[in-house]
Amino acid sequence: MLLRKLALATSVAALLAFSAGTASAETVLNRGIGATIGTLDPHINFLAWEGWVLDDAYEGLVANDAAGAVIPGAAEKWDISDDGLTYTFHLRAGLKWSNGDPLTAQDFVDGIIRTISPDTASDKAYIFTSTIRVAGAQDLVDGKNKDPKSVGISAPDERTVVLKLDAPAPHTLFVLGSFYAPPLHKASLEKFGKDFIKPGNIVSNGAYILTENVPQSHVTLEKNPNYWDAANVKIDKVVYRVTEDDSTAVKLWRAGELDTTADIPTAQIDQLKEEFGDEVHISASTETNYMSFNITKPPFDNIKLRQALSMAIDRDTLVNKVVKGGYVVNYGYVVPIPGYPAPQVAEATMSKEDRIAKAKALYAEAGFGPDKPVSLTIESSNNDAYKKQAETIAVMWKQVLGVDAKVNAQDRDGWLAAFNSGGWDVFNDNLIGDFPGPETYLAYMDPRAEVGYGWKSPEFEAAFDKAMPLTDQAERWKVLAEAEKALLDYYLTAPIASSPNRHLIAKKLQGWTDNPADVHPTRFMSVAP
Amino acid sequence: MFAYAIRRILGALPTLIALAVISFFMMRVAPGGPFSGNRRVPDEIRANVERAFHLDEPLWMQFGRWIWGVLHFDFGPSMKYRDYNVSELIAIGLPTSLEVGIWAMIVSTLIGLALGIAGALRRNTSVDYVAGALAMVGLAIPIFVIGPVLQLTLGLELRWLPIAGWDGSWPFKILPIITLSLPGIAYVSRLMRASMIETMRSNYVRTARAKGIGARRTIIRHALRGAIMPVVAYLGPATAITITGSIVIEQIFQIPGIGRYFVEGATGRDYPLVMGVTMFYGAIVIGANLLTDLARSWLDPKVSYE
Repeated sequence: MLLRKLALATSVAALLAFSAGTASAETVLNRGIGATIGTLDPHINFLAWEGWVLDDAYEGLVANDAAGAVIPGAAEKWDISDDGLTYTFHLRAGLKWSNGDPLTAQDFVDGIIRTISPDTASDKAYIFTSTIRVAGAQDLVDGKNKDPKSVGISAPDERTVVLKLDAPAPHTLFVLGSFYAPPLHKASLEKFGKDFIKPGNIVSNGAYILTENVPQSHVTLEKNPNYWDAANVKIDKVVYRVTEDDSTAVKLWRAGELDTTADIPTAQIDQLKEEFGDEVHISASTETNYMSFNITKPPFDNIKLRQALSMAIDRDTLVNKVVKGGYVVNYGYVVPIPGYPAPQVAEATMSKEDRIAKAKALYAEAGFGPDKPVSLTIESSNNDAYKKQAETIAVMWKQVLGVDAKVNAQDRDGWLAAFNSGGWDVFNDNLIGDFPGPETYLAYMDPRAEVGYGWKSPEFEAAFDKAMPLTDQAERWKVLAEAEKALLDYYLTAPIASSPNRHLIAKKLQGWTDNPADVHPTRFMSVAP
Repeated sequence: MFAYAIRRILGALPTLIALAVISFFMMRVAPGGPFSGNRRVPDEIRANVERAFHLDEPLWMQFGRWIWGVLHFDFGPSMKYRDYNVSELIAIGLPTSLEVGIWAMIVSTLIGLALGIAGALRRNTSVDYVAGALAMVGLAIPIFVIGPVLQLTLGLELRWLPIAGWDGSWPFKILPIITLSLPGIAYVSRLMRASMIETMRSNYVRTARAKGIGARRTIIRHALRGAIMPVVAYLGPATAITITGSIVIEQIFQIPGIGRYFVEGATGRDYPLVMGVTMFYGAIVIGANLLTDLARSWLDPKVSYE
């Protein structure tokens, strides 16, 4: 009897081993990640590339699909109150952490509380005090109230999360994914402290679990069998390889050692396109590039001068002939967003001659000319594309208007410090939107909250305040476009272009969709045989 | 000799302290800080982050805190790579940098010496010209050109060696070591050739030959020992620079060493990281110079430290 059982057991084992052997080998995806990982702490990380790793390891109440659109994540559905101030999320049944612990509503509450707690020292806290205004969050950040229960996020039961806002924000769902609002496995944080995200210690709730992290080299994630949708996750293992040198990354991709790259060196784009066609992916990102004028400092307080300077820039030549690299001319402050009715800008449709004539006329009206030229310095970072942009604009201003323009290119910190010192003339500026919606850009420039441009605009504030309570996106965006118009008409900035996302994507990789936020969850990808 | 080494090590302490003070305060003079981002976040949130890293304290207090940490072998947390302490980052990256650096030094010294000696002994023959031409190529073409060219040819086209990356196995080490050793080969061979020619003309070599000692024995026992002195003097600082990692090599070949922390720490204003790596470099340079001096006294009877 025993013998028969044993025989049966052996044959079953043999059968299992056989089927495991014939089943296709483990699928591995190799993704290039541009820089050395800063932090993988999901409540602290604020960088996009690390975000790819964390999107695989964690899941928020909502998730992003392959195209970046918001879809249900840990929450299967949600209700929004009519006033747009209360969001109630209903979690899926039977959710688990990667170690098998039940994943409860409180874990999502703990995640947001940890992000805004001053002790965590997370930049992302502002998402919950400014991008969306969670009730009581500001007081916790300011240290006025130390009780996390005073913050408007709670878990009335194991499967319900209630979020209360001070002001309606239809873009709320955008920031409740894994990038800004991952849950917290409190037990492992308490046990391991800041090491709770190290391989072996980490407990996460996404489609993958971190199994290896070698600083400056790579991060490996493997499929999380406890993920609720594990059955539909096709790739078994993802390796994120640090590729600080873009040219090396291209070589690795050509050799098939990488399936995707984090970027493409500008100089190689044309040649790669010729050779690899649609494996070269270039698409719009959420980064907007613009020149800011210091209106607190004469002569830049003169709107005619600012307008003349903006109009003297030949954006088409600048972006398409000089900077190149996939940048797209943009006359607005907000990047082009599908469905957002960007305000019309006069110079966008003017002929080159008309534009230059107008610029010269405005320059003269502002009281300047050949015998009284404006002299200014453009503060720029020494990043190649930005420096090239600043230098070209300086030449254009000199040629069209006779402005005595200089460029001061410094490393990133020196450049940012120049802004904070307040003594700058023109700042080669940029902003990466937190999500693909106009709210993120316009909230940043709101005169009551902006970071040091010193502008005032009742028109902007009125339009912004009018838009805020609107819960219908189309209507809201229409009103927000009025706020953007007020900003553009003020010529606080001269918008130039939106930046591209650039990737090499191997043909055999399916399920990669370009999108402005550049989110690419591995769980929607598969590798063709 | 031993007493001398101890004296030198003790004498290095004030140097290290001066290095610490100067780098600490110079870093703070540079504009910006570790937490300045393009996305300018609200002041109170910035303040919370800075407070967590004691950046709100007066400078002297931060310096005191740092010194106190160093005395306990704690270089503090990295402000950019927040998952790690500076000591951890150095401990993880150092073995890799050491391995590549030491091998590159060995390769460049041996090949450089061989080429230099051959050139000197067969002066103005084809051997000399080829060695000289190789050295010029090694000196003239920067490693950020040689590295990618080797990647393209031996890696991508021929598929003999991996293009980049690191798993500790030999195939991954070969290209970085070759690339890193080329400038060294060039320099050592030129140095050795010049020195060897001079030595061969010197009186004591002529005397040795006149006494009837064979050419081979004269070169190995007498000439080499004298001729190698300039190379030894060069090897000290060169070793320090090479084994602490080459930033360019590590970036091109994606080697997880410590070289990059130096540059990244400085451009990112990661104060503890810069301080940690600087002190570490300082100690290595001092150590390498000491070894060089000891080697010189052993090689050259005219040099005595007693």
